[in-house]
Amino acid sequence: MLLAYLPFMIYPYGFFKTSIAALWIVVFLWFTVAFFWFVRSFFPDRSLKPAFFLWLVVWAQAVWTLTKLPPYWIVSAFFLAPVSFLDDAVNPNHVRVFSKEVPRSQYLSISAKRKLGPSKPPFWKRRKKFGWYFFERMLTGIGFAGFVMMLALVREIAEKHLGIQAFKEPAGMMLVVAAVAFLWKNQPYRKRG
Amino acid sequence: MFFLIITFGFLLAMRGARPAPLQRPVEGFKRVWREAIDFFLTTSLILVFWTLITTVKEIQPFVREYTILSFGIAAYLLSRYQKKTDVFFLSVIASVFMIASEQYALLQEILLAGTVSAGIALFQTCFLGLRYKLLFSPVPVPVKGWPILCLLAGFISAVLWSLKSLVL
Repeated sequence: MLLAYLPFMIYPYGFFKTSIAALWIVVFLWFTVAFFWFVRSFFPDRSLKPAFFLWLVVWAQAVWTLTKLPPYWIVSAFFLAPVSFLDDAVNPNHVRVFSKEVPRSQYLSISAKRKLGPSKPPFWKRRKKFGWYFFERMLTGIGFAGFVMMLALVREIAEKHLGIQAFKEPAGMMLVVAAVAFLWKNQPYRKRG
Repeated sequence: MFFLIITFGFLLAMRGARPAPLQRPVEGFKRVWREAIDFFLTTSLILVFWTLITTVKEIQPFVREYTILSFGIAAYLLSRYQKKTDVFFLSVIASVFMIASEQYALLQEILLAGTVSAGIALFQTCFLGLRYKLLFSPVPVPVKGWPILCLLAGFISAVLWSLKSLVL
C-alpha cells in the first residue's frame, strides 16, 4: 500500500484530481483482477507476465489519450495487484490488522495454483471462489483509495493552507507516510469479546 | 523531476535488483551504480530510438499517437533482455515519459536521463549507507521496518533538496 502510493507524489494534482485518479486505479484493479481470473487459462505460464504488462501499457496509453493522465498510475496498479499474482510463491503472507493475524490472500496466485497441479472444479464452485478472491481485492481497493485521499488531503492542507515548505518537496509526504507506517505497525491491542 | 528521482529511488531501493547483504556495503554500492548505468543506457537508448523513429515521415503520426505504448514495449523488451526486475521496467517507462514530455533536443534529453540516473543512484547510495549504519544503532522496535525506512527516505530527500537549492 505504501509503495503503491508513491507514484502519487509525482502528480502535481490537488485533492479532487488525486481522488479521481485513485478511484480510477481501484476500478482498474478490480477489472484487471476479474479479467485475469477468467482468462488466465488461455495464457501459458511464460506469457502470463508479459500479457499483464502489455495490458498495463495499453491501458496507460488509452487513459493518456482520453484524459491526459500521465502513466505513473500503472506503478500503483502493479503494486496493488494481488499478492504473488504473477509469482510462484505458494504460501500466502499474513498481515496484522488490529492485532490479529489475517492472511493477506486466502487464495493462491495463478502461477502457484498451476504449480500445485491441475484442478478443475465445477463452474459454480469456481464462481464462489472468485467471489471470495474478488472480495479481498475489493477491500484492498477501498483501503487504497481511502489512504490516498487521506494523504492528498494532508498534503493540500499542509502545502496550500498552512504553507509548510517541506510539503512542496517529497520529504514532507515521506514523513507523513512514515508516521502512518508507525501507527499501522503499533496498532492498539484489541481485547476479545 | 526531483519527485521522480525520490519516488523511483525509493522504489528501486526497496524492490529493485536483488540487494547485496547489508553487511557488505561496498558490494551494495557497486551494484547500485551498476544498476544506475544500466538505467541510464536503457533510458538513453529508448530516447535515441524514439528520435530516430520520429524522423521517418511514414510512421511518425502513428508513433506520436501511441507514445506510451511504444515506450512501454521498448522498455519491456530492453528490461527483459537485461534480465531486470519489473520495477526497473516501470521506472524506465516513467522516466522516459517524463523526459520526452519536456520536448528538449536529444542531447539535452540524454543529459536529463543522466541526471535522473545519477540522482536515483545517489539516493540509493545514501539509503544504503544509512541502513548500514542502522545495523550498529539501537533502533527501538516500534519504528523498525517500514517506519524507519520511510523516515530515512524523507531525511535523504530533504538533504538532496537542500543541495539542489544550493546548486541551482
